[in-house]
Amino acid sequence: MSFAQRRRVTLVTFLIGVCLSAVVAHATTLTRLQFYQLVQHSSAIGRVRCVRADTRLENREIWTDTVFEVVQRDNGFLPSPIVVRVPGGKFQHLTSHFDGVPEFRPGEEVYLFLAGQPGRQFYIVGWTQGTFRIRKDARTGLETVSQDSAEVPVFDPETRTFTKSGIRNLSMDRFLDRLEKELHRQSL
Amino acid sequence: MRHTVRKLSATAVAVFYGLWSVVAAHGYAFNEIVPDVRQPAGVSGGSACPIPSHQLVTTNGIAVQWSTVIGTNPKTIFTTNQTPAGALNEIEAVIQQSESVWSGVASTSLAPGTFAPLTRVSTANICGADGLNSICFDQPDMGFTPGVLAFTRVITADAINIQLGNAVSTEVGQILDADIYFNPSDANVTFATPSALSGNPKSYDMESLMIHEFGHLLGFSHSAVWSAIMFPFAAAPGTFSGLRPTTQQPDAPLADDDRAGLRTLYTDLNDTTYIGSIGGRVIPANPLSLPTSPAGVTGIFGAHVVAVDVASGNVIGTLGGWSCAAPGPTQFDGSYVIQHLAVGHSYAVYAEALDGVVTPSTVSTALTTLCRNANTDPGWPSSQACVVPSPDLQFSTRAQPAP
Repeated sequence: MSFAQRRRVTLVTFLIGVCLSAVVAHATTLTRLQFYQLVQHSSAIGRVRCVRADTRLENREIWTDTVFEVVQRDNGFLPSPIVVRVPGGKFQHLTSHFDGVPEFRPGEEVYLFLAGQPGRQFYIVGWTQGTFRIRKDARTGLETVSQDSAEVPVFDPETRTFTKSGIRNLSMDRFLDRLEKELHRQSL
Repeated sequence: MRHTVRKLSATAVAVFYGLWSVVAAHGYAFNEIVPDVRQPAGVSGGSACPIPSHQLVTTNGIAVQWSTVIGTNPKTIFTTNQTPAGALNEIEAVIQQSESVWSGVASTSLAPGTFAPLTRVSTANICGADGLNSICFDQPDMGFTPGVLAFTRVITADAINIQLGNAVSTEVGQILDADIYFNPSDANVTFATPSALSGNPKSYDMESLMIHEFGHLLGFSHSAVWSAIMFPFAAAPGTFSGLRPTTQQPDAPLADDDRAGLRTLYTDLNDTTYIGSIGGRVIPANPLSLPTSPAGVTGIFGAHVVAVDVASGNVIGTLGGWSCAAPGPTQFDGSYVIQHLAVGHSYAVYAEALDGVVTPSTVSTALTTLCRNANTDPGWPSSQACVVPSPDLQFSTRAQPAP
């Protein structure tokens, strides 16, 4: 295989590979929300740190309530700690599964776009669409932000083209700048 | 945005035909359940190897009821027939069609008679963890937030003799309850039956969504292949996914990715056509790049592997990196397998590791539920315990043709 061929294969592989992570990054049947719509639908936006998750059976459904410590509040009233409720979880011998509902690990920091009221559970707007993972480069210390639902382009086998949308690997500074501008725009 | 494109990670990708003797990572993203081996082997099966969630396949084995209570203020479902009875018949036809699409796939054990005749229920709010498969069009749920059109909640048992309502598991991994919810509470979201779609271009195609949700009811997770019905985003309002089913091709809306997944989940043991498998391992060029914690990781975990049909361009994908032989636990050895491919076709296989922000918590329960241990489940035997590693993000790979 020539170098050019290897490069081509490499690129195709990469693109197909990254497209597949969309398999796992999206929630169930969704309609796409633009960034301004996420802001519009959110009653609170902030950077939070996962403390723990509890699963409970309530109203004939299994729910997972995740407790977050608020690291930074960017919009709305967000008294720390907050409880974010997502459907599904494991309860005794039963696993209730909602495909793609975001899961969080203790210690993990994320930006969440939330709906709901303080004192009650919050909900994540658009599930994975309103979940932005924070990744810190161990070497440089720089933080980047990626939307769960938009991590990768998706492969279209008919046209053999790739598309992508949403926010991926955006520097924290640029993300916050974009968020601030959108919040300002909507406040006018 | 900067992306580091790594060299092809096809190192040691072996291509062969035939079925594997051990369970390996397979594609089409199923919901995986690790049996509760703390229970006696007669109840749990004794193995800690993950099992895909699945429905019991018997004649009339999958019973589905649906609530005829539909939103009227505001109206959320548009039909061609405006009479109350006619509208309900039209909606029911969509549900039946959705069942037929999946049971119309050739070479699976999901025969048309697997679905029992639909049952109508005239009361609202029938969806809930009650052991009955239900479809609700007018049941508000806290799970609905802006952007969510419909979802399916699937409840799976991790042992036999687990009871939920009147449903009792007779197999590990059996789905005891799957409920499909359509969003009734978003003023901007309406649905239309196929015949009413053109007249309601702002509505979502109910049939496309219903077929997708039935995929979840059967045990599917999502696919990233654009043309797959299990792609997570709905077709734009006024349009529909794939092709409409026909008598000649009852499974027309599905893609090969969906079909291969169904054949894997509901295998026809008498099939002689779709019996090809492509499998192997993805390992890094530098073994020292593998994570040291947890112990025992010998291959790339979380690698994306796809098989592209050279002739048609159809894509079938998998999320690889593990295998499991009874009694378990799962081994993170870089294994993958793509099953139930048509024999006689040529496929190009590609692999790429998770490369950045993706972590186990974001890559679906297909990966995060592969292990149980004493931390997650008190009393779990150490000999069958494991910890799901983080995807290795720091390795480099190189291309190496299969032998």
